[in-house]
Amino acid sequence: MSRFITEEELAALNALVDGELDAREATAWSARVAADLELAAARDAIQATRDAVGALDRPDVSEEFLKRIEALAVPTAPVRMRPARDWAEGWQSIAAAVVITALVASSATYYLASPRVASFEMLVADAHRRSLLAASPVDVLSSDRHTVKPWLDARIGISPPAPDLAGQGYPLVGGRVDVLGREPLPTLVYRHNEHTISVVARPQSGPNISPTTLASGGYNMVEWSGNGFAFTAASDLEATELATFVSDYQTAAAAP
Amino acid sequence: MDQDRGAELFRQVVVPHLGDALALARWLVGNSNDAEDIVQDACMRAFSAIGGYRGGSARAWLLTIVRNTALSWLAKQRSSSLVMVGDLADIDEVSAATQAGHADLQSTPESELIRRADQQTVTAAVAALTLPTREVLVLRDVNGLSYKEIAEVLKLPIGTVMSRLARGRQQLAAVVRRVDQ
Repeated sequence: MSRFITEEELAALNALVDGELDAREATAWSARVAADLELAAARDAIQATRDAVGALDRPDVSEEFLKRIEALAVPTAPVRMRPARDWAEGWQSIAAAVVITALVASSATYYLASPRVASFEMLVADAHRRSLLAASPVDVLSSDRHTVKPWLDARIGISPPAPDLAGQGYPLVGGRVDVLGREPLPTLVYRHNEHTISVVARPQSGPNISPTTLASGGYNMVEWSGNGFAFTAASDLEATELATFVSDYQTAAAAP
Repeated sequence: MDQDRGAELFRQVVVPHLGDALALARWLVGNSNDAEDIVQDACMRAFSAIGGYRGGSARAWLLTIVRNTALSWLAKQRSSSLVMVGDLADIDEVSAATQAGHADLQSTPESELIRRADQQTVTAAVAALTLPTREVLVLRDVNGLSYKEIAEVLKLPIGTVMSRLARGRQQLAAVVRRVDQ
């Protein structure tokens, strides 16, 4: 019946599973396990545990982190040039001139070839349109600001006020991260009847600016700033309804 | 050592093992943000010590530095309550749970939710091990080091490595059996 497995036996079984026994020992222990149900059960438990720990998610090495680490190994600029390097310096400035010329030429071509530089409102309108085409307009789905804010904070370290305006007819649906002009920014998503409203928040330290209505990319938009953010709201709501939403948001965000 | 050669060696010896370094640091200190800071700090030490790298397992060499950096970090933080695992993963769980509540918009397959829950259970059980047991288990089953390499990283006799590993796996076995059923 059930018998006690000693620590030595347990250590040997672990070593067997890990392939750490030499050939002779491995053969001997395999034979013992084959002849002993208790040992076999212990061996299986060790194997299952090893597999379960090995299958745990590993952290990703993000592109940003990899760059930070690679930057550590960039040789620091020499404090002074030794005379023997003078020829190299001359050569380097020629190389630099060539590179700069190439950059200027290629960016000029790019500038001429691209019809216009996208304004921020256009980027917001594009992001809003893309979110409506996606399976879900939000990355985190919650009417609870206590979920949306920490989610955004953990993702990109920016979390704008996210009041639920269900009482005013604009329930909070959730949030997502939009990358606008290479900058990841938090976007809050509200709903009004069948309409979706995206509110992009950019951190800023300028003065508070009252709402300005504009239109871009077929959407009505409102821009304003306060609470340390510059906000841009985009929706296919009527301009007057969107303005009402913005004033409700401002009131709720200003409340303690 | 020549700076350029040092940089080249750093790219060959350190950069390929960053994933292992982050995994070890996260298991030692309990969250990803601190793990990144610790690995960055360890990489700075590794770069200045790269001239002392004498061949052998580059992974074990880097993990030794990561482990020592993490332990000094832990010693500094000792007063505050420590070692809770999961940060972004937790928030993902919260959002997954919230999403599960909205049946009409649910997009995560059930099997994926179960897999995540199982992972969380095993993760919590590993996090509950004592640090000396946990570090042996992680170096073996997450980082894939041999017993001999683990003994070198931790400066322990190989017999101690084996008994700690056996104990750690035994403590986890019950949890793993429950999850597998």
